[in-house]
Amino acid sequence: MSEKDVSKAEAEEIRIGVYVCHCGLNIAGSVDCAEVAEFASTLPHVVLAKDLRYTCSDQGQEIIKQDIKEHRLNRVVVASCSPRLHEPTFRKVCEEAGLNKYLFEMANIREHCSWVHLYNRKAATEKAKDLVKMAVMRAALLQPAVESEVPIRPEALVIGGGVAGIQAALDLADTGYHVYLVEKEPSIGGRMAQIDKTFPTMDCSICILAPKMSDVGHHPNITLLTYSEILDVKGYIGNFKVKVLKKPRYVTSDCTACGECAKVCPMIAPNEFDVGLAIRHAIYTPFAQAVPSTYVIDRELCLNKEGVIVCDKCTKACERQAINFEMKPEEIELEVGTIIVAIGADVFDPSIIPQYGYGRYPNVITSLEFERLINAGGPSGGKLLRPSDMQIPKTVAFVQCVGSRSEKTGKPYCSNVCCMNTIKDALLIKEHWPETQIYVFYVDIRAFGKGFEDLYRRARKEGVIFIRGLPAEIVEDKQTRDLWLIGENTLQKKLYRIRVGMVILSVGLEPRKETDLIQRLLTLSRSKDGFFMEAHPKLRPVDAATGGIFFAGCAESPKDIKDSVTQASAAAARAGILMAKGKVTVEALTPIWIPEKCQACGLCVKVCPYNAIKLDKERKKIEIIEAACAGCGTCGAECPFGALVMRHFTDEQIIAQIDAATEVDADKKIIAFCCNWCSYAGADFAGVSRIQYPENVRIIRTMCSGRVAPKFVERAFARGAAAVLVSGCHLGDCHYINANYQTKKRVERLWKKMEKAGLNKERLQLVWVSAAEGEKFAAKIREMQPIVESVTPEEIEKAKEVFQKALEL
Amino acid sequence: MGDTKTQSTVVDEEFEAIADLEKLKDCFECGICTASCPVHELLDGYYNPRILLETLFLEKTAITGEEGLWLCAWCYRCYKRCPQGLKPPEIFNNAKNLAVRRGVTEPMEKALARILSSIPLPLVTLRLCFHPERAGIDEALLEELVSKTYEREVLSRKPETEKHVDKKVAVIGAGPAGLTLAYELSRKGYPVTVFDALPEPGGMLRKCIPTFRLPREVLDKEISRLQELGVTFKTKVKIGENLDFQKLWKEGYKAVFVAAGAHKCRELRVEGVELEGVIHALDFLSKANSGEKANIGEKVVVIGGGNVAVDSARTALRQGAKEVKIIYRRSRAEMPAIPWEVSEAEKEGVKIEFLASPKRFIGENGKLKAVECLRMQLGEPDASGRRKPIPIEGSEFTEEADTAILAIGESPDVSFLPEEVELNPDGTVWINPITMETTMKGVFAGGDVATGPATVIEAVLAGKKAAYSIAKYLEET
Repeated sequence: MSEKDVSKAEAEEIRIGVYVCHCGLNIAGSVDCAEVAEFASTLPHVVLAKDLRYTCSDQGQEIIKQDIKEHRLNRVVVASCSPRLHEPTFRKVCEEAGLNKYLFEMANIREHCSWVHLYNRKAATEKAKDLVKMAVMRAALLQPAVESEVPIRPEALVIGGGVAGIQAALDLADTGYHVYLVEKEPSIGGRMAQIDKTFPTMDCSICILAPKMSDVGHHPNITLLTYSEILDVKGYIGNFKVKVLKKPRYVTSDCTACGECAKVCPMIAPNEFDVGLAIRHAIYTPFAQAVPSTYVIDRELCLNKEGVIVCDKCTKACERQAINFEMKPEEIELEVGTIIVAIGADVFDPSIIPQYGYGRYPNVITSLEFERLINAGGPSGGKLLRPSDMQIPKTVAFVQCVGSRSEKTGKPYCSNVCCMNTIKDALLIKEHWPETQIYVFYVDIRAFGKGFEDLYRRARKEGVIFIRGLPAEIVEDKQTRDLWLIGENTLQKKLYRIRVGMVILSVGLEPRKETDLIQRLLTLSRSKDGFFMEAHPKLRPVDAATGGIFFAGCAESPKDIKDSVTQASAAAARAGILMAKGKVTVEALTPIWIPEKCQACGLCVKVCPYNAIKLDKERKKIEIIEAACAGCGTCGAECPFGALVMRHFTDEQIIAQIDAATEVDADKKIIAFCCNWCSYAGADFAGVSRIQYPENVRIIRTMCSGRVAPKFVERAFARGAAAVLVSGCHLGDCHYINANYQTKKRVERLWKKMEKAGLNKERLQLVWVSAAEGEKFAAKIREMQPIVESVTPEEIEKAKEVFQKALEL
Repeated sequence: MGDTKTQSTVVDEEFEAIADLEKLKDCFECGICTASCPVHELLDGYYNPRILLETLFLEKTAITGEEGLWLCAWCYRCYKRCPQGLKPPEIFNNAKNLAVRRGVTEPMEKALARILSSIPLPLVTLRLCFHPERAGIDEALLEELVSKTYEREVLSRKPETEKHVDKKVAVIGAGPAGLTLAYELSRKGYPVTVFDALPEPGGMLRKCIPTFRLPREVLDKEISRLQELGVTFKTKVKIGENLDFQKLWKEGYKAVFVAAGAHKCRELRVEGVELEGVIHALDFLSKANSGEKANIGEKVVVIGGGNVAVDSARTALRQGAKEVKIIYRRSRAEMPAIPWEVSEAEKEGVKIEFLASPKRFIGENGKLKAVECLRMQLGEPDASGRRKPIPIEGSEFTEEADTAILAIGESPDVSFLPEEVELNPDGTVWINPITMETTMKGVFAGGDVATGPATVIEAVLAGKKAAYSIAKYLEET
């Protein structure tokens, strides 16, 4: 439909067709559908009303299409199941019959009515009539809309050059897109490059990673930016502008990595790649397989750090003359359509657990340090040497859950990889030194993946001893530097005191320190554990809530290599879909700005979770960046002047629903506002689970609870409603990042207002309901019954009076 | 425990008052609490806090019937190490409260009998560690019950007949660790002599623990029982001055147990510490406990957050101070003092200024007038596992005070020890963690001298473990 057709439709007389679905007996079993249809035909603007056995069937769809044409219907209402299920189906039907899809409306008389009121046909039928009335009143105010399109730039940015970033970059580059891979270290490779072997297959980690690293280095579609940091990100899906700081290496790409320079460099420091177990020079390469192989000068360590050349040993040693102390930091601006965040994870620092003695006892090491010690390319040439005396220990203990699953010391979550990593490490020791006695102290062994249990069994068969119960303390024997582990074997209910030559603390993973910065630059949300939060934990597990941004690897949660690679390919595919399409349509839910009413107060700018509104205070102007807007509507709810009209969820449309619901017996009803993603879905789930609750609730759907303006609640009370329920996603789980915090603020303000006016504030309830909490929703409705029943006619009248102003809207 | 009272069903509401019941669901039974518990070891595993917590979780109605509830010695070592931050002593105390309210007394009686018969220094530890009265039992009744049970379980028991007259053991320090070892070994028939620099035996129990927490008659009773068992006390003996190790060996002692405690106050290096009115906590406590009137003013500040600081504050109140304020540089969660005793102090009127540290003491005519403090904020955890206090620049504020008691930690004075006895970096004596033997053959150590300041029950455990090791050592030599 073109813009011209849209304006034509607006001028027309409103002709609504209503279809009441039986859904076999799903609805007709407890609702008299014919009676509802007959009732619908009496409503304003309704030109025809029919009850159909299965409206979603081909036959049902045909009937609607024919009616649209024959009866010149310009609005369609289907009273059937949840719009979350069949709204797309019926919108398509309308479009096929030449009707704009935004002129379609649904009444949910199955999940919200017949299924939750199975045993009271009369009351269910009455409720269905109300729901249809609400839909019809809203339908009359619906406006056609054209969805806007935003072009997607066919280039991607991958942040982080660990295995996840590498995989994502390669997949996208192989698909044909240009990729910028930004890594803060001098080489890509990440954690996987540090690890000796991988579980459960015991492959050599660097052997399988190095070819991929080299592919990245040579790929014509990949621009590799190592030793670089993200400075700033602007823009939105399809059109991000990214500023990158490329730090100077002071060595040009002429470097052949011969290493002559490092041999003569007088300065040394602990090598970060070997977690400080070995040294490097001021000019160095982090490890043999580094990509790029170009050396780098640590200018802070170098004798020439002040800018004056006092030492030229490396310059003299370099045959290719690749050393250039004049190199300067470079700021690079990139324009990309999609971004993949693959910044990885840090490891927990166990020195804050004093009773384990890490940092005090030389022979207590972390699992990451172990990887470097057991690695043939590591500081000890692959020999597991005790730091105290460089001897191979005869007994070794692993302590699990160090920094994980703890409310106090470390993080409350399970770090996912440590159990299997320990099992793999134990087997590695057994492989090199079969006589070694190995103990693993654990609370639960989590060997849940493919091939994991086999590896666990193999470790047991090879004589690794697993003891349930963590050591309460580790004490060192001064003479031998051996360690005593003291704890309770909780299966035997006995104390153990076990002496070993070396202790390996199996440390957990935690979000990278840089997570804060990346979160801020990209407006991302994080889950309680501090890792980035996905748009949907099941169905959009690699998407960020912000459009055009995807996650791969440990940035999203601790995971092993296989999962990181899987997720990276998924993220690449998701980003690829956007770029292949070349454009993204934005649902017509964005606000329309009414300049005459706007006071340029900036309240909308403050509440927008997506920074999608820009304020020009001087010119009294705001600009809405449609592509960045997700349509939550919290700006519309915040605007005191009505200067933002939320398309498809206008004030008038919502008020029409409130008015329709409160026309009859308002004083016995609950008006409930439910957000589309969680609480409306939660109410749907109550229906699917056939959880029964009282019939007196009328649900009004908004995209986000942030759309619920205080005036809607006030209107419901002014119309004589007994109670109002506002319901949204749990705090922290909002589908619009944090818009539901506005909901909380507004409801709290309303409570204060009610209290001040002498109203029972219990009549307004706020509840966070997730899509899985059908029972919680039903319980809330049940819980509200005594409130509804106890509201006196005087109280109803008083509320009407207090909120009288809300009727003027 | 099978009587009808203990088995009766209890309504859920009664359990709501039990602290941390909800947090208990975070417990993964790692066993750290049990392995940290001195009583678990003292009672050879009879008491197991982990299993007790699990009972509370699985079948809470049975909890009031558990004897174990009454065997917790309130040292909070479990809490300090629990990965989930649970406070078993308080969880158990709420359950004990419930038992008392429901009139379930049998488990407590059993526990009393067990403590009195199986824990060394039972009268002292009952007062200072087990605290059955905190569960709300009538104190007079409790007193009577204790003395009756003591009569039955302890006084009527005959010491062992076995004698090892030629295997004399010397104990340096008559504090709880030394007394425990003396008790254990003398019961096994070893001749034990306890040396102490102070005029009367008891160590910190006599010198520093306030009399309102431990009446000295109780301590005296305990010591006279040791004397009855044959323990010899030689007081006012300072090793290094009137006696040395060479002499001990010469006199026929076959093993030495060093339990000299931690009696050295850590120094505070700020301007004005030399002012009149700035005193050390141990000096103050020792004076107050000896019955002398300590010389303190009306407005007292105590610097520090450990048990000595809390004891000093409470004693200062009893010595007539009008206002007592503890100044501690971290927050409540990091305080090393026993949480329960901190709250008791607060109930008595002690104020606590958290996140503050003295910058200088301000005087007038050589006398303390005020303390200038600096506000702190907490940074990342340091090597002690606690968040490090970081001064906030420009946040100075002054507290008026005429007395400042410094209680910023104690360390052992080990100058008397021969060089063969090696030390830890923090100045405590290094011991083999299992045998408690020092680097010098035949010399063992335990208690505060080896661990730094700790609770009485921990010192008792050290004494008991050392007694076992020394007996084994003496058998083998």
